[in-house]
Amino acid sequence: MKEFTIRFMPQDKTVSVPRGTDLMSAAIKCGIALNTSCGGEGLCGKCRVIVKNGKIKSDASRIIREAEKKSGVVLACQAIVEGDAEIEVPKESLGAFGKIDSGAEEFTKGVILKEEGKYPVSPLVRKVYLELAKPTAEDNISDLDRVCRQLHLKIDDVLVSTKLTSVKHLSEILREGDFKITVIMGRKDDRVEILAVEAGDRTNKNFGFAFDIGTTTVAGQLIDLNTKNILGTRIAFNKQAAYGSDVISRIIFASEPDGLEKLNEAVLDNVDGIIEDLASSCDVALSDVYAVTCAGNTTMMHLLLKIDPSNIRKVPYVPTTNVFPTAHSAELGLETNPKGIVSFLPGVASYVGGDIVAGVLACGIAENDEMSLLADIGTNGEIVIGSKDWMIGAAASAGPAFEGSGLAHGMKAVKGAIDKVRIDEKLGVDADTIGGSKPKGICGSGYIDLLCQLLKRNIIGKDGRINRELKSERIRKAEANYEFVVAFRSETDINRDIVINDDDIENLKRAKAAIYSAMTALLKKVEKDISDLKKIYIAGGFGNYLNIDNAVFIGLLPDIKRDIYEFVGNSSLAGARMALLSREAADKASEIYKNITYVDLSSEPGYMDEYVAALFFPHTDEGRFPSVRLSR
Amino acid sequence: MAIDLVKEKYNDAINTVEIGPSGSKTVKVGGETTMPFLFAEGGMPNAPVVALEVLDCEPSDWPESVKKSFGDSIKTPVAWAKACVSEFGAKILCVRLQSVHPDYGNRPAEEAVATLKSISKEAGVPLIVIGSGDDEKDNEVLPKASQALKGENCLFGIATQNNYKTLTATALADGHSIIGESPIDINIAKQLNILISDMGLDPKRIVMHPTTTSLGYGMEYVYSIMERARLAAFIGDKMLSMPFILFVGQEVWKTKEAKEFGEAQGVNWEIATSVAMLQAGADILVMRHPSAAKSVMKYIDMAMNK
Repeated sequence: MKEFTIRFMPQDKTVSVPRGTDLMSAAIKCGIALNTSCGGEGLCGKCRVIVKNGKIKSDASRIIREAEKKSGVVLACQAIVEGDAEIEVPKESLGAFGKIDSGAEEFTKGVILKEEGKYPVSPLVRKVYLELAKPTAEDNISDLDRVCRQLHLKIDDVLVSTKLTSVKHLSEILREGDFKITVIMGRKDDRVEILAVEAGDRTNKNFGFAFDIGTTTVAGQLIDLNTKNILGTRIAFNKQAAYGSDVISRIIFASEPDGLEKLNEAVLDNVDGIIEDLASSCDVALSDVYAVTCAGNTTMMHLLLKIDPSNIRKVPYVPTTNVFPTAHSAELGLETNPKGIVSFLPGVASYVGGDIVAGVLACGIAENDEMSLLADIGTNGEIVIGSKDWMIGAAASAGPAFEGSGLAHGMKAVKGAIDKVRIDEKLGVDADTIGGSKPKGICGSGYIDLLCQLLKRNIIGKDGRINRELKSERIRKAEANYEFVVAFRSETDINRDIVINDDDIENLKRAKAAIYSAMTALLKKVEKDISDLKKIYIAGGFGNYLNIDNAVFIGLLPDIKRDIYEFVGNSSLAGARMALLSREAADKASEIYKNITYVDLSSEPGYMDEYVAALFFPHTDEGRFPSVRLSR
Repeated sequence: MAIDLVKEKYNDAINTVEIGPSGSKTVKVGGETTMPFLFAEGGMPNAPVVALEVLDCEPSDWPESVKKSFGDSIKTPVAWAKACVSEFGAKILCVRLQSVHPDYGNRPAEEAVATLKSISKEAGVPLIVIGSGDDEKDNEVLPKASQALKGENCLFGIATQNNYKTLTATALADGHSIIGESPIDINIAKQLNILISDMGLDPKRIVMHPTTTSLGYGMEYVYSIMERARLAAFIGDKMLSMPFILFVGQEVWKTKEAKEFGEAQGVNWEIATSVAMLQAGADILVMRHPSAAKSVMKYIDMAMNK
């Protein structure tokens, strides 16, 4: 078939593709990652590109405005190559997913710090310095036996094993270091393995990574395993988003030819990107990193390890495994020392994974005598309720809205994201951004504030629809629906107005309804009331800030005493870090996953009713939100 | 020893809605303090009513068995409406402004409103007025119709979750009541009532349409939604305390069972559906076949112990 040349500017990258290829695929082919949160369905409008010249066929889309259409704007995922063309890629369409940002989040929140302190330091990988007696005629045991003999004098672990790669060059290393060596030992599930032996004393360089692999966001931390210090944090949108925004669409994609490989490659790219970025900025050699611990939902773990996830989607929702054996980095193909190991937090079920077990660990729920609740407001939106005696968990399928995905101007909680909003009586908007720079978009906590303010100023009704009758330059019709301008072009960093529209509000409304109704349905299931809870931990990628009052105002969280709430940030990452730093914490995680009973909310009678009742601001049953007063 | 059956008593009542200008012909619905017809437990101060449905044009898709029972009068809306009252005993009519619908003539709104005004004048009974089902055309015709019948205290419809503002605003301005429709969902029914009340319309001017289905087409779902709403209202949920309207004729005469197996079966199908809906708590039944309507009126009298 005839091929055509597509040139992308300003990258000045050229690719040759057959007729009928879409521009999104052409861009991927030459290494340009375009934004998308709908997975190429033509729905999110984030992959706008401009056709400068050439033959590109594009059907009318309601997302593209008339004026934009005239200047050649098309959705890359819907634009079909019919001849040579030159394409301009606007800044805001470029690579928001996969792009690595410094974590604005200060992950060691109070409660987590307290929990973390409870566990002794016994990292996943430890380095032991040995000075061996040199072999003599009387003492002529093998080099390996010599190492082990000395090692057993220093450590308690008896079950030490090794493998060929570690032994192969042992004699060389021993003599190179004049029998002064560092043994690197990793805990592989229930035994200890000699991962490597290095010449000389290398004990002061022992580093590890903790990862939270989320459906929408991937977060990683570089940690000094000797000092427990966090050297840096990075977050990025999961590159798999190009193939679908939720776990279900990813699982479907995984069963297409090469689908699983593509998804696996995408997330490895994310993880490696973060590893390289952190290591180089903290001046850590990757060869000194022998330990990685990952927490993530069950599907993400399958995809990270290239395990077929297809049965997760099918009744009765069975994963290949919930407990993933510790692997060597080389098996995954990570950039860290190939002899190093990667461990995983165990999960509960297909839809309550290791990220939640990590969260339970980090919040100390499984040690409390009294009942508490953890709500992880991520793409799946999982809830766990319980105490040291029992725990029950469920997933809410909230969608990625509160992670800033799938919304017109949504973004992660990083520099430039609006995270606080106030609207005055004249509908003037006062917004704060993370880092104080000009706004680029709005993050989850910003959306919660925004919804609350829109409701208070009667800009949206209790059904969430923008009030068409209100006269303001900020309220305007935009193609199929209405939008409210949060920041005008001149105030922003993206050369476009930052808006929230009816569809965004609908998405946010569904997400908040899913979380709230999952909480209440799960409580109902165990015949408990919200007032029985002694503590509610809220986790999620909200950055440093979540206004609980406003979250209650929009009906995301139950209207109860505010002091029982504790915002804990990314508890999955915190749990991964704890398991990385302490064997006792990792053991606790193995205890936790066994003690959580999974509930499938979709088959719970009454859940749909709860959900539809929550699709209102703050709730259809206003009596449940006595503190919320909305004027007519 | 005889066993006394438990009697449920409720403190709260369903709202009473008046339709039509004040006078002897005003129709009152609602006011119940009991599940339907359980007089030992509470009261039903107003009997459920049957409204015969007339269109503002000759119906093109009604089955012949229904049409022929009205004779030639069905060809002219005013004559048809008058026949419903004088011959078939209707005390209230439901006028559907079908002619404005793009698929049913696409007539100008003014024409439909003129017909409606004549019906109102000639028929001399309270009116329920509903649109054609096309949101865009209805948002044009209903405000005009509402204005034309200002002071007639009609029941206007149909407001939905996605299209309630225009109708609410006009009803508010012209002193009418309105019908709020929800898709067999108690929460959405309540949400719509809240949204309409938030615009300033008295909740006592709202009648709920919980969605109607015909016998054999999932009627039990509607039944249980109505039952739940009623029970919630009786224990004090003011946003579910509205009377119910059900468009029985419209649903029954769509079905194969009513249309294709002889007139008698169709009539019985409409009666059976109506009676079930009365037992679920219907306050207004909008019916099509005059014989079915007559039987249901008789049934209501009997059930009310008259």
